[in-house]
Amino acid sequence: MHLTAEEEKIYEGEQGWAYQTAMKILVKLGDLFDAEKLIPIESAHVSGVSYKTLGDAPIEFLESLAETGAKAKVASTVNPSGLDYEGIMRSAVPETVKEKQEKIVELYKNMGLKPVLTCTPYYASKPKQGSHLAWAESSAVVYANSVLGSWTNREGGPSALASALIGKTPNHGLHKPENREPNVLVKVETDLKNEVWYGALGIFLGKNLMDKVPVIEGLRYPKEADLKQLSAALASSGMTSVFYPCSRCPKKAENLERLAVDGQILKKAFEDLSTCSEEPDMVFVGCPHCSLNEVRNVARLVQGRKVKENVMFWVCSSRHVKAKAARHIQTIEAAGGKVVSDICAVVTWLKELGVDTLMTNSAKTAFYAPTMNKVKVRLATLKQCVETACHK
Amino acid sequence: MDLELKGRPLVSGIKSGTALVSKKPLSFLGGVDPETGLVTEKNHDLLGKSIKDVVFCFPHGHGSTVGSYVLYSLAKKNVGPKAIVNETADPVVVVGAVIADVPMVDKIDISQIRTGDTVEVDGGKGTVKILERKKACT
Repeated sequence: MHLTAEEEKIYEGEQGWAYQTAMKILVKLGDLFDAEKLIPIESAHVSGVSYKTLGDAPIEFLESLAETGAKAKVASTVNPSGLDYEGIMRSAVPETVKEKQEKIVELYKNMGLKPVLTCTPYYASKPKQGSHLAWAESSAVVYANSVLGSWTNREGGPSALASALIGKTPNHGLHKPENREPNVLVKVETDLKNEVWYGALGIFLGKNLMDKVPVIEGLRYPKEADLKQLSAALASSGMTSVFYPCSRCPKKAENLERLAVDGQILKKAFEDLSTCSEEPDMVFVGCPHCSLNEVRNVARLVQGRKVKENVMFWVCSSRHVKAKAARHIQTIEAAGGKVVSDICAVVTWLKELGVDTLMTNSAKTAFYAPTMNKVKVRLATLKQCVETACHK
Repeated sequence: MDLELKGRPLVSGIKSGTALVSKKPLSFLGGVDPETGLVTEKNHDLLGKSIKDVVFCFPHGHGSTVGSYVLYSLAKKNVGPKAIVNETADPVVVVGAVIADVPMVDKIDISQIRTGDTVEVDGGKGTVKILERKKACT
């Protein structure tokens, strides 16, 4: 890989150990993927924040980096944590766990990363179309590439952090136009009624496409939330990092290899994502974190109703969206629900809250929660979620 | 006679030690105890074995990118491997080797190496030298 004179100096350690280590990570990854150079990025989004998923392993490393005074060179944000600042989780976990979780967030903050603690950083600051990014949250990666028209590889926590500190990323994969060309045509032969069906489609495609780049035909007027669910689900079950949604097949895609998805395949994909049919302890909406529009939809559905006493009803979103949603939050909380930020059900300590059975409208959560949280899940539409959570 | 295998240099440094060879990919997050260096991944052919101070030969990593931090943690606690030899390196293990400063080589036919062999890894040149074959038990 060709390095500029300045990059070379950083690699040799002229700016200290933290920048040197970050540069080494990027150069070695560049070598691994045959990148010829580093390119500047507009922003970095770093995963690896929740102490529940991380454990102790990264704390020492983050400490060593932060100690040097190294700071992010570009706008950088971080993923959800295991604790929320309003304290829903605080009584559920021991003091030592709280300390470690707070430490991790503090270390990122010290390195100049913004503690937005959300998987949807694009609602607070939308990257420019065609901009290069180094993002690590997989649902946001697919969304950025496919919906926002930005260019990012699917980074890991450490490589996104290295990119934040250097302000660059190795030029390979989805940073190159030739790797973004579609190579498979997916024909959806059934009507996708709402966001859950988009999620089920994503899980099915992720499992069947490997890392192919699909044009997905037959999506009629998908809403933003539909494409977000599709993005998150694709990233959960597979390696696809960009897709092209369309209602009718573009000419250039006509000769590609084809994959047909009919109603039956999709129904099975949907059903396979539920592991139980019991009444849930928790009903969870907001994976990925809700947009303002989604919070408003939930508020409309729960207006004037009451959440059952034995059910926790969580709507997860970012602080940024919450700040604009005061009226809707009031409606949801008056019904007995909670609008929670900084965390999500999957990266926090659900078992400690007493949750054994989870209902959600997120295919990504349904895919991960049985293994990551050891809970049983039921996948359902937002409407069904509200119906189940509330008294008749 | 020394057998020298030529691969791709990834993380520089020269280390020699006893080889521990696995046929299975490994996830460092959840697959290795960061305190002890013992393999904990279910159904793994090295389950219960220690990777402390060995030249660790396995096809490639898989699973969460937090795995890179586990490698760092192992090195800090002196329970990590001396060097890593992969068939096809993946980003998780490469980043882990960089931050843990563990010499690493890939594009090596690891079936040429047997557990117990004494080997020398040169991460800068991309070579693995078999210095001494493990004596057969017969």
